[in-house]
Parts: sequence; C-alpha cells; structure tokens
Amino acid sequence: MKYILMMNTMRARQGVPNWRQADLQAHIAFMKNLNRGLHESGELVSAEGLTFPEQAKLVRAGKDGAPITDGVFPESKEFLAGFWIVDVDTAERAYAIAAEVSAAPGPGGAALSMPIEVRPIMNAPSQEMF
Amino acid sequence: MKYILMMSATKAGVGTYHTWSPKDAEAHMECLRTIVKELTDFGEFVATQGLAEPAEAKLVRGEKNGLPVTDGIFPESKEFLLGYWIVDVATPERACAIAGRISAAPGPGGVPTNMAMEVRRLAMPPAHGENSPGQSD
Repeated sequence: MKYILMMNTMRARQGVPNWRQADLQAHIAFMKNLNRGLHESGELVSAEGLTFPEQAKLVRAGKDGAPITDGVFPESKEFLAGFWIVDVDTAERAYAIAAEVSAAPGPGGAALSMPIEVRPIMNAPSQEMF
Repeated sequence: MKYILMMSATKAGVGTYHTWSPKDAEAHMECLRTIVKELTDFGEFVATQGLAEPAEAKLVRGEKNGLPVTDGIFPESKEFLLGYWIVDVATPERACAIAGRISAAPGPGGVPTNMAMEVRRLAMPPAHGENSPGQSD
C-alpha cells in the first residue's frame, strides 16, 4: 500500500534559513539518513522538497482554456514544505515512518515534532473518487 | 525546472464527486489521461498521484520516544489535496499553462471544473536527498 506523508509548516514559521548552520546541517543529515534507510528497506517511492511560499502561484483556466495566474496566494495557515511517498505493508508502518520524520532535529537539536499528514494513495488513480 | 501542480478541493466538496454521472466522470478522466499522454510525449511528465478521501487521513507526530501518536481528528483546514502532477518544464509559464489545462478538465455536464491549481517549484536539489522520479501509477 502506498502512503503519502506530507510535512506542513506554518507560513509564518517558514524561517529555516534563520537556523544556525550546525542545526541546519544536523536536520539535513537526519533526513538523508532517514531516506537512505527507507531506500534500503525498499519502502521509499519518492521524496521532494518544495520551494518557499513566495514562489507559489494559483492557476485557473479561463473560458478559452488559457491559464489565469494569481500572484496573491490564498491565506491558508499551513504550507506544504515537502513530502514522501512510501510503499509499506501496513498503515501502522506508515505512521511509524511519519513519526520518525516528525522527530527530525530543529534548532539546538530539539525534535521539531512537526505534524505529518498521512494519506493513502489511490490504487487506480482518481477512479475511486467517483 | 520541476514544478508540482496541486489540485485541492474544499473538504466538504470532496463528497460531490460521488454525485457525478458515470459519463461525466469518464469524460473527466479521459481528459486527464490525454493531458498526461501529451506531457509524456513532450518529455515533460514526471509523476502524478491521486489521494484517497479525507476519512482515511491521519495526522501523526513523533513522541519523545519516537513512537507515532496518531490523531483521528483531522485538523480543520478548508482545503484538501486531491492529487498532484509533477512536470519538468523550461519555464514557469509552461507549468501554469499545464495547470490551466488541468483546471479546464470537464466536470458535470461537460462544464470545465475551473478548479484552482496550486503551482509550486520543487526545491533543487531535493532538500532531503533521495528523489526517484517517474512514478506514474
């Protein structure tokens, strides 16, 4: 079963560049190590990090199908910072991995305890919706 | 440059998909399949995934001992991710153009859904190491 683990941060707190260099390096080393372990166990499908909110756009199709881009991003409190897709035997295993991600070190090496949203991926994409 | 195109619905709106006629649903899916096929032909397609419904979502935090604490009650965010596409394109305008086409996919009665698509560039290199593109199932 495939699960997506989504790491959201508060928009106001997206201040990772303000971390001390040593804290940032410890955080990245933790994530690399975690990913290596998931890769070796055959559970990692993909992982991506996203750029900061100011680069985001909201797009809708106009009547002629041309894109209308909106520079003003809607005011949601949460903002996706990155995600992992894992292929695991049980939901509990997906939760355990999410907990590992959640415990990644932040400033001063303290666990961030970020909430991680865990959702199953559809088996036949989108057909299940209808 | 890689971009992620995220399709979100309001949590309340997710249930309305079940009211679509099979014909409308098929037309919608056919449009999305055509877009993916074209992106593949152009060499711009990286990945797409659809996500299961809100009822199956969990929120997880690691406890001090590293064990997961799962929360059955999902936080009250208005928006809910339905699925995403990752594309590898030359310009941000091209990413927005693709998002526009997806937004124009037909809904009930063949009327375009005009769903808002969030377009964001992926951090390069991937912020957290591993990256295996090409997932499309």
